Amino acid sequence: MRKILASTTLAFLGLSVPALAADDCGKISIAEMNWASAGLAAWVDKIILEEGYDCDVALVAGDTMPTFTSMNEKAEPDMAPELWVNAVKEPLDKAVAEGRIELPGKILSDGGVEGIWIPTWLAEEHGIKTLAQALAHPELFPGAEDGEKGAWFGCPSGWACQAINQNQYLGAGAEEKGFELVDSGSAAALDGSIARAFNRKEGWLGYYWAPTAILGQYDMTRLELEAEHDPEKWHGCMVKSDCADPVVTEWPVSDVFTAVTKDFAAKAGPAMSYVAARSWSNDTVNGMLSWMVENQATNEDGAYHFLETYPEIWAEWVPAEVADKVKAAL
Amino acid sequence: MDLIQFPEMSRSSLRTLRQVVDGGFRDFTRAWGDTLESLFSPLQSLLTLIENLLLRSPWPLVLAGMAALIWLASRSSRITLGSVLALVVVGYLGMWEDTMRTIAMVAVCTMMAVVIGLPIGILMAQSNRANAIVTPLLDMMQTMPSFVYLIPVVMIFGLGKVPGVIAVVIYAIPPVIRLTNLGIRHVAFDVLEAAEAFGSSRWQKLRDVQLPLALPSIMAGINQTIMMSLAMVVIASMIGVRGLGQPVLQAINQQYFTMGVMNGLAIVAIAIILDRTTQAYGKRLQKHAEAGR
Repeated sequence: MRKILASTTLAFLGLSVPALAADDCGKISIAEMNWASAGLAAWVDKIILEEGYDCDVALVAGDTMPTFTSMNEKAEPDMAPELWVNAVKEPLDKAVAEGRIELPGKILSDGGVEGIWIPTWLAEEHGIKTLAQALAHPELFPGAEDGEKGAWFGCPSGWACQAINQNQYLGAGAEEKGFELVDSGSAAALDGSIARAFNRKEGWLGYYWAPTAILGQYDMTRLELEAEHDPEKWHGCMVKSDCADPVVTEWPVSDVFTAVTKDFAAKAGPAMSYVAARSWSNDTVNGMLSWMVENQATNEDGAYHFLETYPEIWAEWVPAEVADKVKAAL
Repeated sequence: MDLIQFPEMSRSSLRTLRQVVDGGFRDFTRAWGDTLESLFSPLQSLLTLIENLLLRSPWPLVLAGMAALIWLASRSSRITLGSVLALVVVGYLGMWEDTMRTIAMVAVCTMMAVVIGLPIGILMAQSNRANAIVTPLLDMMQTMPSFVYLIPVVMIFGLGKVPGVIAVVIYAIPPVIRLTNLGIRHVAFDVLEAAEAFGSSRWQKLRDVQLPLALPSIMAGINQTIMMSLAMVVIASMIGVRGLGQPVLQAINQQYFTMGVMNGLAIVAIAIILDRTTQAYGKRLQKHAEAGR
């Protein structure tokens, strides 16, 4: 009774509760990764953990390799909301086996999706569903330097996907079918070419990945490759730039998890169940990111917008009383 | 009053401002994209033509042609031999195709820069008002981070050569303009007075007195323009321009040290060849002028 009184008094005095609640959750640091979907997730976590679980959350800037290394070696930051597992596969498996890092849940329920995409309106107009059908119509996909050829926009120079995309291009025999592989140079330029195609209502065919703002803003369809994913072929040949015998092979779905340190798992208690339950679909994230681009919103704006607009999604991640606390704070 | 926090525009009006500008630009690309693109299509054809000429002719012919051009311009066997040697080494190391693409690109960019820059420089020298208007524009072109205007250019022209040429010319044109202006303004007043005393018209004065005397300065400007367009090769590759920039970009992203250094050195080799040749040509022009008078 005294404790309740004390806390209400403090609350009335205008002091916030973390001092008392520190026993529950305490100070935690979350990596705000430098790409859009992860930055948004970090802010959603910050707001829910602060308002709903009375944690004291600090955001630190991050990127896959440095953040993972720091979590693994120094147990800092406590949490990486969106870790693309394939990028750090081997050291991560080891860290999980040795108990330094835990992976309580998949943040992206669909996983990270890569593939060859075309505008949906074009796909519907011409009944294109598969890569082979699209490759039969080079005239629908302008943008190549040789005006008579179709353009296949590739992955930016030097990215891991560059070799894969090139091997898919070669494997599909796109060159013989009248296509040219356009090196997009950078992600910004690749985005620019998509924006241009949609502004002009022209066709576009190329490599892209979800969840991204671009796929939220522009309605695109992922082409079926009509080929299974073959891990042996994939790692033995497709990922290499000198693959001797490239064939079209379906991209694997990338697992994207939330990673937390052992310390966090121990001290955060109830918040761990939130982290384990928190999972959203690529459609949700694409939509949120495109809202953010349209409104030139920061990650913080985006997180508040998400919490205000989609209570039905996030209320399932937390117990009802926590959800009420968060709603009250919005 | 709060003196720590700078009084700034409210977040919502700042956002509206950005949205309005972005929206305006999007409408502009929708309305004018096609027109602008067809306006620039001769440029694309010119580039493709030069590139194909360099890539589809037999390599000994290309090498001999380049040697002949370098010799004609420099009249120096040392420079010619050195250039041929450098090109042979670059080609032997597997960079012939990319090198040819880069040379074609730099050639077209330099041509564009001279064709556009020279008249602007002359205009600036003639009129102080033009000078006052163009100078800040040149400052902006040289300092604005390229990606700020590269992406809008991509939204209009797509990926590839034309946006590449535009980006490179924007960055590399200022030296021609500045040094043409400077060279003409530095022609001694008494020389001009003498020309006037002989009754020369404005055009005669410009053609026969000012431009020849400003030539060393103009050549230095062209030389700088060539160097700067080579420096832009890697940036241009970020919007899909093919050439030596692409392997460099790839090497940077994947930490392939040797590949980066080799392609970087190939860019340096082109730069040195063009620099020595144009400098020798400039010197020769001067000598000729001095001997003639």
